[in-house]
Amino acid sequence: MRTRAIALASALFLTAGTAACSPSATRDEDKGAGGRTTVTVRLWDDQVAKAYQASFDAFSKSNPGIVVKINLVPFADYFTKLPLDISSGDIDDIFWLNSSPFGALADSGALMDIDQALPDEKGGWVEAAVSQYTRNGVMWGVPALTDGRSVVYYNKKLIDEAGVDPAKLTWSPDPAADTFLPAAKKLTKDSTGKTADQPGFNAGKVDQYAFNAANDLGAIYYNFIGSNGGKFQAEDGSFVFAEDQSAQAIQYLVDLINQSGVAPSAADTNDNGDFSRDKFLQGKMALFQSGTYNLKNVADGATFDWAIAPMLEGPAGRVSVVNSIIAAGNAKTQNKAATVKVLKWLGSSEGASFVGRSGTALPAVTDAQQSYYDFWEKEKVDTTQFGEASGTDIIEPPFGPKFLDANTAYTPIFKEIFAGRTPVPAGLQKAQDAANNAIK
Amino acid sequence: MSRSSRETGTAYALLAPSLFGITAFLVLPIFVVLWLSLNRWNLISPAEFVGLDNVRQVFADGAFRRSLLITTGFVVIVIPAQTALGLFAATLLTRGLRGSALFRVVYVLPWICAPLVLGVVWKWILAPSDGALNALIGQRVEWLADPALALPTVAAVTIWTQVGYVTLFFVAGLTAIPSHLLDAARIDGASPRQVFWRIKLPLLRPTTFFVLVTGIISSFQVFDSIYALTPQGGPEGVTDVVAGRIYYQAFQSRNIGQASVMALVLFILLVVITVGQQRWFRSRTTYDLSS
Amino acid sequence: MSAAERVHAGRTRPLDAAVAYLLLVAGALVTLAPFVLSGMTAVKSPQQFAAEPVLNLPQPLTFSNFTTLFGGRYDFVSPVVVTAQVVAVILVGQIVFSVLAAYAFARLRFPGRDALFWVYLATLMVPQIVTIIPLYAMFAEAGLRNTFWGLVLPQVFGSPYGIFLLREYFRGIPEDLISAARLDGCNTMQILRYVVVPVSRPILATLTIITIVSHWNNFLWPLVITSGPTWQTLTLATANLQSQYNGNWTLVMAATTVAIVPLLVLFLTFQRHVVRSITITGFK
Repeated sequence: MRTRAIALASALFLTAGTAACSPSATRDEDKGAGGRTTVTVRLWDDQVAKAYQASFDAFSKSNPGIVVKINLVPFADYFTKLPLDISSGDIDDIFWLNSSPFGALADSGALMDIDQALPDEKGGWVEAAVSQYTRNGVMWGVPALTDGRSVVYYNKKLIDEAGVDPAKLTWSPDPAADTFLPAAKKLTKDSTGKTADQPGFNAGKVDQYAFNAANDLGAIYYNFIGSNGGKFQAEDGSFVFAEDQSAQAIQYLVDLINQSGVAPSAADTNDNGDFSRDKFLQGKMALFQSGTYNLKNVADGATFDWAIAPMLEGPAGRVSVVNSIIAAGNAKTQNKAATVKVLKWLGSSEGASFVGRSGTALPAVTDAQQSYYDFWEKEKVDTTQFGEASGTDIIEPPFGPKFLDANTAYTPIFKEIFAGRTPVPAGLQKAQDAANNAIK
Repeated sequence: MSRSSRETGTAYALLAPSLFGITAFLVLPIFVVLWLSLNRWNLISPAEFVGLDNVRQVFADGAFRRSLLITTGFVVIVIPAQTALGLFAATLLTRGLRGSALFRVVYVLPWICAPLVLGVVWKWILAPSDGALNALIGQRVEWLADPALALPTVAAVTIWTQVGYVTLFFVAGLTAIPSHLLDAARIDGASPRQVFWRIKLPLLRPTTFFVLVTGIISSFQVFDSIYALTPQGGPEGVTDVVAGRIYYQAFQSRNIGQASVMALVLFILLVVITVGQQRWFRSRTTYDLSS
Repeated sequence: MSAAERVHAGRTRPLDAAVAYLLLVAGALVTLAPFVLSGMTAVKSPQQFAAEPVLNLPQPLTFSNFTTLFGGRYDFVSPVVVTAQVVAVILVGQIVFSVLAAYAFARLRFPGRDALFWVYLATLMVPQIVTIIPLYAMFAEAGLRNTFWGLVLPQVFGSPYGIFLLREYFRGIPEDLISAARLDGCNTMQILRYVVVPVSRPILATLTIITIVSHWNNFLWPLVITSGPTWQTLTLATANLQSQYNGNWTLVMAATTVAIVPLLVLFLTFQRHVVRSITITGFK
């Protein structure tokens, strides 16, 4: 008993002695004075973080006085933590933004004015990204990534087995014109091997899904709305997704999940954004509609033959949202000079090429994009569907200074709609009212 | 200096650190919360005095009332169940069976672990597609995503965590009952069942009281496990317990004023429960065991 | 088995004993199942987990999830160390300051003693969710958000609960011991060191265990007061990991195992004390 107590006490003393020093704290917190400066970068994507690490290692070689540290925050918590950390001054020097919180943050003075900090760099950036993140005439971040158009990744073996041509899939709220649903049914199998169009199909025990219909804005419902000729927001930013054409699109998706069972239950996908991707990678989903942000994951993780087809065609054609992400600077950073240097590096074709070179994501720096295409060409993956040649039209991503608040308001209702517990028309109306209320 | 004033000086010197801690981190915050409840503040812009506006809004908005109801429902499921199961287990463990000590150790294991971590473990076990429970029963049940099942499921996890702990108290309570009372009853021909209901149970009242009060107080404040199992209030908000509501209101919606009002309401509620239970039990728990 | 327990046994018929054992074993299985299952998943390879039924035994048994967890990017070493540091500092502070206060309440006479003690006790009724909002505001204003001391300060100055427990115990110390020491010329600190503390080992051991367990497992305050990887505690790191790698259950279960094992080891080593401490103190 004595020895145990002594051992415990010594362990305590040792840890107490090194107290207040976190192992992951940066060694050089002081600025200048011969010490090194640390610039912190916050983002949510695991794969891009890996590429960024390589990029920052190269940066530190040519800038020995600056160390760059990456802070990976889970996407699910990213936008709830952001305002809190900004308000208490704990925000990183550089942090990713998408359009959700952008407007409000730009207006609040929390972001660094990039036109001022990096006046000569804009020319090298993708135009769509520049316009998405210019507010009140000022550019508020360095474009980091740009999504290509959405595409359908497909499992060759499952497609061939069912005799489906992935490039000719057209959906429509009108069953007579809908060629997608019959194909999807052929691609869905339960645990006994029955497909969804056979009698006795058990929707409770699906082994193989056809498609990833879910409450997913960027890859699924926003595009379905657009492809049906519907709108998500009006010109003034108010929400209009309860309107006929948009509602039809949502109804179609909800039916895919809850009526035909060709897509996973919302119980699985509502809180886990990677569920469908994981199912696809396990060979348990035939068609996976997603963006460039999953190309690397698919290439690395799929153990079967796969390929890329254009996204599903709707009554109004193929319409995809194209989104960009920027790296914003903290207006109140303690290390302005170092931060600006890192931002410049991220916006340069050399710095951005690491992301492209590893095939992780499409950089939003024009000259660095070729590295992405080259990488995938070498991997024998056809990336044309991500670009203009696919014939897919593009629509504006969501916008507005209070979009985040609206999103927080309508998302729980959307989850219930996709779960089939709230009827679509009533649910969308309720969600629309909640969203419009939130942006007042 | 007189001896008593020296003693006073010493005493206050000894008390200084804890007094500072309690004043700064327990007493002062209460006043700050009171002040915050009268202001509108979102942590970014300066605070704005709005008087009783927050109180009005909190009570007008159904969400808070609903979360109180949900929490009450949670307590109503958890407390009787864990108390009864704990008592039952204690009766099994006080029969002099061999290995009782080992079982006691096993039952207490969940208490050692962080509720948050146990919540994450159960989140996997209850996962609809690749969770252990559904694999075991061969059915696909959406334990945490079905609004009808979410609250009972979360309550069941809490019961699982707490039963062992409650058991230990009842074991201590049972073994503290003087043997001569039990012997006397047996000699008088009382059956084991009569011994239990007429003698053991009444004499366990102090323990029962303690277990109930502490159980209710802590169940009303449940947060960690619910955060892990059903974040953001769960499906259709059925697991939106009070502590969670306060947290989301303060640190997600950043509505500090309203969150403070809710916190104060919870505080008052808990005080009322504690004091009320104390009064109710005091009149019923004095037994002269020396006779 | 104590004499009291044996007395309660009365005469247990074999059938009753068998039924009792059955029930006890069933209870033990239900209690242990989540631990065993999560441990099993933690040592399974992600490929096997995805491909085969979930309840299959790990084949091969692999520690790759743990090496991934402690490797560069997930860096689970930091939360373990941070949590250990926080617990160590809080433990030392709480025990020392609680002993001082409890001695004053137990053995010294001074004006306002009983009233002040009631104030200490009253603070036990304040729920944590009530204090975190103002504490957050106070600490953020003071620039202590996301710092080690932010994590530690609210707890380190002694705990009313500990003071209550220790006071009870200290009151039971025979006056002769203390008078003798005083006659020998000891001042208060020496009395504490040479008389009070040595005699109070059991209760101090108990309090130590309670303090370690409750602060190792603390979640709400670290959640609120820290941000980012530098100061996240083990519970927070586990929650974040689950949020980031949602379907990657083998990795997440490895994290929960890491979070649980230290306390499990502590518990099994000192389980006699822990079991007794729960019943004596009624803490948590």
